[in-house]
Amino acid sequence: MMDNHIILSFKGEITSEIITMVLQIMETRLEAEEAKSSVKKKVFNVLVECMQNLYHHAEAELPGQEMTRKAMLEMYFLDGYYNIVTGNFIKNENVEMLKARLDKVNSLSKDELRQFYREILDNNQISSKGGANLGMIDMARKSGEKLEYHFTKVNDDTSFFDFKVRIGAKKKKAMEMA
Amino acid sequence: MDNFFIERSKQTPEIKFDAESGVLEIMGRSIPENTFDFFNPVLSWLDEYSKNPASKTVVKVNLEYFNTSSSKYILEILKRVKNIMNDGYDVLVEWYYEEDDEEMMETGEDYEDVSGLPFTLISVEED
Repeated sequence: MMDNHIILSFKGEITSEIITMVLQIMETRLEAEEAKSSVKKKVFNVLVECMQNLYHHAEAELPGQEMTRKAMLEMYFLDGYYNIVTGNFIKNENVEMLKARLDKVNSLSKDELRQFYREILDNNQISSKGGANLGMIDMARKSGEKLEYHFTKVNDDTSFFDFKVRIGAKKKKAMEMA
Repeated sequence: MDNFFIERSKQTPEIKFDAESGVLEIMGRSIPENTFDFFNPVLSWLDEYSKNPASKTVVKVNLEYFNTSSSKYILEILKRVKNIMNDGYDVLVEWYYEEDDEEMMETGEDYEDVSGLPFTLISVEED
């Protein structure tokens, strides 16, 4: 059994340089982790998606503060799971859409997620921010768990978005055993 | 036409397209934030290549990681190859994955399904 530990804690603006730096550090740290390499790969992949979501979608807390688009990112290992947690402000007007997307992804089984991934891959246009709307589906597939989230209204313009992805360090064998 | 080459970086793959042999290789990882800037020249080259392709085109995808914004562009590459196939040329996609990387194998199957191209999934031993 691996001990619980904190792997990463970051708060600040997510720039292209920061992403490069954090990923470089995390690659080294993940190498030192005891988990199987396939698990580490999933963790790294989810981390990339999370950081790129923050890079493209984090908003300022107040309008007019666009220069300070702060966000937070944490990773820790707890009770057999890697937890990747992000926090950022988003515009209230985008909350419903994001919530609907997360609920949809969470309602699907493993096979349905795969089917949904194929549909979106094939049909959706690439958005102006480069996102292909595949991020949440991809993270849910890699996680195998429900995506956890919470919105807190901050003011008339913004809400705070808490988001957590869990990845089990032990590969599930349930299906093979059944 | 000229061959196309981009050296790999920490966030972008090596791209090696050989117009004469028809071997198009994508190797490494593809996790840039701005995928458009990276892939646009790749797609432009393929548009030119499609006009006069080799008798057989083999796309070798050997990626360790790619982000979801790269995944659309990988499909765009394969769609261009599909057009080459529809023009009556031989094409094949070789999709490489590390032997314990089930995800990457499944992703290969997803692309095979979505692109409608002939695929060979090839398992490689880890370094």
